[in-house]
Amino acid sequence: MPDAMIRLESVTKVFPGSTTPAVKDLSFEVSQGEIAVLVGPSGCGKTTTLKMINRLVEPTSGRIVVAGEDVMSVPGHELRRRIGYVIQQVGLFPHRTIADNIATVPRLLGWDQPKIAARVDELFALVDLDPAFRDRYPRSLSGGQRQRAGVARALAADPPVLLMDEPFGAVDPIIRSRLQDELLDLQRRLHKTIVLVTHDIDEAIKVGDRVAILNVGGFLEQYGAPADILREPAGPFVEDFLGSDRGIKRLSLMPIRDVALETGPVVDRSASIGEAQAAMERYGVDWFGILDGDVLAGWAPSTDLDAGPIASLQARPFMARLGYGDSLRDALDTVITSHTRVAPVFDGDRFVGVLTAEAISRELAK
Amino acid sequence: MITLAQAAGDQRFFRWDWVWSHLGLILEKVTEHLMLTGIALGVGLAIAFGLALIGLRFPRSYPPITWVTGLLYTIPSLALFALLVPITGFTTMTAEIGLVSYTLLILIRNIVAGVQGVDPAVRESAIGMGYGRRKLLLEIELPLALPVILAGLRIAAVTTIGLVTVTALIGRGGVGFFILRGLNRFFDTEIVLGTALSVLLAVAVDVALVAVERWLTPWTRTRGVV
Repeated sequence: MPDAMIRLESVTKVFPGSTTPAVKDLSFEVSQGEIAVLVGPSGCGKTTTLKMINRLVEPTSGRIVVAGEDVMSVPGHELRRRIGYVIQQVGLFPHRTIADNIATVPRLLGWDQPKIAARVDELFALVDLDPAFRDRYPRSLSGGQRQRAGVARALAADPPVLLMDEPFGAVDPIIRSRLQDELLDLQRRLHKTIVLVTHDIDEAIKVGDRVAILNVGGFLEQYGAPADILREPAGPFVEDFLGSDRGIKRLSLMPIRDVALETGPVVDRSASIGEAQAAMERYGVDWFGILDGDVLAGWAPSTDLDAGPIASLQARPFMARLGYGDSLRDALDTVITSHTRVAPVFDGDRFVGVLTAEAISRELAK
Repeated sequence: MITLAQAAGDQRFFRWDWVWSHLGLILEKVTEHLMLTGIALGVGLAIAFGLALIGLRFPRSYPPITWVTGLLYTIPSLALFALLVPITGFTTMTAEIGLVSYTLLILIRNIVAGVQGVDPAVRESAIGMGYGRRKLLLEIELPLALPVILAGLRIAAVTTIGLVTVTALIGRGGVGFFILRGLNRFFDTEIVLGTALSVLLAVAVDVALVAVERWLTPWTRTRGVV
């Protein structure tokens, strides 16, 4: 791969006093602009592997190349100033304000004051951190805010490579999910090469462009795009690690946008009662949607037809709505809990079709 | 000057008139007391820092360092000064050697404990961002160890201020001068004055060091978030 930003070649690490290697003969590449996630059970050497990339741990044998340069050819502290690093506990400096924390690496690199100040402003905006925190100490921030400040600090000198060791492990699930979304959003703008370590397979699937599944002793079981790994696990270990809900996990990677939607039991407000009945029969449901041009006004139960023509009916609002960008995993719950197993899909306000339980299972079979 | 007869003849426990008429001497002895204490703490800190850094850098050297300074700490002060006089005489040097010796154990222990107590995550993130050993110590570890180091300094300061009075025996002593002279001529006012001044100085210096600590470690005061 010519555009590999990080390359590990037969890397082995044996810690002093240990006979079994923590990582054994590991090789893989991370392309420029990709998020690679190292995931596996404890003792699989994922953190050791990560720390070898910025030389916090030095390999016993093998070679690691970052941006075309053997990491062992650069003094460790200089190498690390060029590689962003985020850890689970964040490790903000308690005695420095948030602004000073973020300015850490630019200062180590000897940037001048105005340039540092401007960069700090930029980073507050980038990670969506309230500028009121500039002169506060880390103690007064919440876990999520500290994590954002930690990411801002790692990005301060605009390093091409970012290493993240269980970055969202210490925050609660709701904040974690939001921080994951923020990371993906940042990455769409910044195109960094990111290596992220986690023990959470769902996190790996969600944020990884490529996922490396490691077994105890740093053995690489499978390395590939999450969708490929979920569709074709390389062996029993991977299959087991992915869990029994592998199919549902795959759904989380499929946006509704990619599914051929059906028009659904939907008729125009000008339609006849007969047309509405035909539409309901086609989908085997006892309700129909009423369209005002492009806009889905709502729905009405079949019993309403006894009351008069469609034009005169009061359309009821949909309780269940899906967005075009939602994943099939999000949609699954909505679809199977609606009593007719059908949910309308909207692109903004525009009605684009309906999603059925059958359509979802059809996608999985592909 | 008050004569011995005058002093002994008056049976009042504490004579303010004596105090008012000796303000100059009192100020001189208080100043001397503070000087002796300041030099002891300054030199003690310098030596303690050197030894603590050696102990941190080479962990195997730490037990012998605490063993030797611990031994110094156990020598009775009276005996130490008596031992030193034949070598260094009735000098400020003699006083300071003794005073400095007694600060070392507390200071070294607190410097080492303070640095070792720095959150490992903070250390790891610092190294991970490209801090070298020296910068890490000076910019991260020592500042974060300050509350513990200053706690040690406060104990050392209070201890030293008390000990300074003993150096009256070798012709120094700060306000200890009054205690010794008062004992020699059965003059309660001087004994009480010397003791009270020593206690007041200790309290005042302790309060001052708390203020210094607050000023130097503003980050420890911000309200935390749960």
